[in-house]
Amino acid sequence: MTQGKNPLAGFFSGFFKIRDEPTIFGRVFMAALCLAGIAALWWYVTRGETAADRIVSPYALGSPAEVFGSFPSLWFDRALTRNLAVSLWRVLQGFGLAVLVGVPIGILCGAFKRVDAFFAPISIFGRNVPVVALVPLALLWFGTGEAPKIGFLFIACVAFVLFDASRAVGDVASDYLDTAYTLGASRWQTLLKVVIPLAMPDIFNSIRLLFGLAFGYIIVAEALDMDSGIGVLIMQSQRRGPREHVYLILLFITVVAFVLDRVLYFVQRRLFPYRYGRG
Amino acid sequence: MDTTKTTGGGPKPAFWILLVLCVLGLIGFAGYKGGWFEFLAPEGKKDDIAKIDADELAKLQAGAAKADAEAPDGNAPTTVKEYNFVPSAKLPPVEGTASYKPLQKGVVRFAINVWAGWAPIVFANDGFQPGKEWTAADGKKFKVELVLIDDPVAMRDSYAAGNVHIGWATLDMVPLFLEELRKDSRVMPRVFQQIDWSNGGDGIVGRGVENIGDLRGKTVVLAQNSPSHYFLLNALINAGVQPAEVNFKFTADAFQAAAAFNADKNISAVVSWAPDIYNLADVKGNKLLVTTQTANKLIADVWFARADFAKDNMPILEGIVRGIFDAMVALKDDANKQKVASLLGKGYSIQPSEALAMLGDAHWTNYAENREFFMNQNNPANFERTWETAYYLYKKIGQVAQKTAFDQVMDFSLIQKLGKDEKYASQKDEYTVTFTPRAVSAIKAESGEILTKTVVIHFFPNSSEIDKVIEVQEGEKTVKKPYDPNVGFVLEEIGKLAAQYGASRIIIEGHTDASMKGQVPDSAVKDLSTQRANAVKEALVNKYKTLQPNQFTAAGMGWDVPADDNDAGNHAKNRRVEVKVYPLEAQ
Repeated sequence: MTQGKNPLAGFFSGFFKIRDEPTIFGRVFMAALCLAGIAALWWYVTRGETAADRIVSPYALGSPAEVFGSFPSLWFDRALTRNLAVSLWRVLQGFGLAVLVGVPIGILCGAFKRVDAFFAPISIFGRNVPVVALVPLALLWFGTGEAPKIGFLFIACVAFVLFDASRAVGDVASDYLDTAYTLGASRWQTLLKVVIPLAMPDIFNSIRLLFGLAFGYIIVAEALDMDSGIGVLIMQSQRRGPREHVYLILLFITVVAFVLDRVLYFVQRRLFPYRYGRG
Repeated sequence: MDTTKTTGGGPKPAFWILLVLCVLGLIGFAGYKGGWFEFLAPEGKKDDIAKIDADELAKLQAGAAKADAEAPDGNAPTTVKEYNFVPSAKLPPVEGTASYKPLQKGVVRFAINVWAGWAPIVFANDGFQPGKEWTAADGKKFKVELVLIDDPVAMRDSYAAGNVHIGWATLDMVPLFLEELRKDSRVMPRVFQQIDWSNGGDGIVGRGVENIGDLRGKTVVLAQNSPSHYFLLNALINAGVQPAEVNFKFTADAFQAAAAFNADKNISAVVSWAPDIYNLADVKGNKLLVTTQTANKLIADVWFARADFAKDNMPILEGIVRGIFDAMVALKDDANKQKVASLLGKGYSIQPSEALAMLGDAHWTNYAENREFFMNQNNPANFERTWETAYYLYKKIGQVAQKTAFDQVMDFSLIQKLGKDEKYASQKDEYTVTFTPRAVSAIKAESGEILTKTVVIHFFPNSSEIDKVIEVQEGEKTVKKPYDPNVGFVLEEIGKLAAQYGASRIIIEGHTDASMKGQVPDSAVKDLSTQRANAVKEALVNKYKTLQPNQFTAAGMGWDVPADDNDAGNHAKNRRVEVKVYPLEAQ
């Protein structure tokens, strides 16, 4: 941290110092600068009254005023928040199921290599199958309604959860096991009291990252039967307009996903003080 | 690991989870109590499904078809009446510089989907790849690349970006495209040619339902904003079922709709494509309710060029129109059909035998049929009426915002121009069904009805004159007025239905009220209602020369069948005409 009398001077003098950490204001300032640059470019290529005057056709991208001007209709008429809540609830169910199934099996796989070998085909298949190709199949397997969407999310995520949990357990250093055995712990005690608590921070971290993945999949899953959800809002906006809503929804999802990630990260740091310290 | 601080000191991890949950809960509760929940999470407007009124649609169309606002005359004999405006005077001007990708080595990029209708252009181009030389009207040579983009949204976006110069659509989809394309005059579509009518390629399959009217209160699965959607909405309103009375389940495409119907036994009907509809109809308990083999002038496939491209390249577009028409003639030959099947097989990555079987899904529309479609104002299944119907239906269910007039996209200048060429002018409409007269009982015995449309025509008491004129006192003067001023609109409705369902038999049933029951003999009332039904039939075939008298069978029902069994004494409801649509032959 640069401790100058004049924070601005510190900001500039440290600008090209390798690995110099700016203050929080310095960081925010740079981020704002980036956004301002994007906004200016956006305004520039979409300025002009008619399509003919513009660098980018309004068909492809509306002006900032047009895009943000359509926000009220997205928020009030098309119930953005409710659709988002519906989608989040689906993600929670599908992904929650994947966690409930994947984590215990993953822990067993990590601890017992023969169980790992047993589940290997499923894990390899699940992590390498082209997920989008599962969409029509989900309809065949689960019918219509909520089941295929939740089922699809479960199938799309469970192998990753399982694999990450197994790896986290496998990554626990042998020293801990040896120490536990030396202190006279039984096999189950070692697993429950040493291995799992040590693996948990990594498992939680991977769940946090995979949650973002599942949030992306929901848009694909909601194409199954287009009744509600953020994915349906996107698809309908692509089909019949307004295209402005597509951009707005994508922005909105990004913000929501970021906030959720930070909340989970906050929880994660509090849950595992032995890993992250008491920050 | 520092173990000195794990007890006492800081809160336990569970505390933090509880804290987050509590904060969220409090926010939620405050919002709920404070009433700004409605602000944070408004319920939104459901797509407003307004009540659909077929009369209203007929009035719109009758109004649209008439520049001069005279009262529609049901019996004035009309022949072919062609539009007399100049398309270029109506089409919106193109502003700014053209923004399509310039032709690489003289290759026009033409988007198509997997559909039998594109066989003529595939044949004319000798496959999908640019190779064969086409000749433009000004003698210049050009080539065509057929670009397969099956997803209509991807096609529209590729077209708007200028990557393809020509797009594909069913005419009923174009209003939906316009919601976005309207933003830029350069990408406004110009429709120059109809390729085909869907002829068996689309259909509705039911489970535990006998006809379209049975779908009231049931669940139907289909692809939203697609020809399936248009087909179903149109069938529903003709059967007197409001869209709001049906539970729609939407899938991303027609294949998924078929899969969903198969998987979920609670769904009563599906709208999908061949071959799925025929496979589903073979399943025990399922019934093919209707296909475009019967509704054979409902779904029109067309191609359209970007306005800026059209402005610069009319000679090329004329070359394409001619090439497609010539290919349609060439494809009458079986050897050419085999050849195009193998070309389609290659382009679509399917077996040539499959491609050959697919050819039956569509009827290619030759020059004469295109002229009927684009230019004949009195054709009940023409461009304008198809356009108006699509707009009306989509507007009613809140899928389109503002309306664009049909003459903003329809450009019949090339069709008109080709009429000067004997080769095209001599072509005949080959899409007419020859009906043999048949008795009502025979038609009803053969198969169940597809739908029943109920219309009301007010006849003067004891008269069967459809355009009865009465004298009314208005102050000092005696004015002559039609007894039922709505007759023209009702005929428009029935005429359009008969034209859309071009390969169906239509029974016109006249009903009377039972107010004179016991005072006049039954037979006299039967005769009167038969005369009334006949009067409707006569008026129809006089008004629309394209309709054949033998498609219609008139029947007098007297007072035997009340409109509503629970309200049998409602005389006003009972004085009605029912138009029943039957398949031409048992499906």
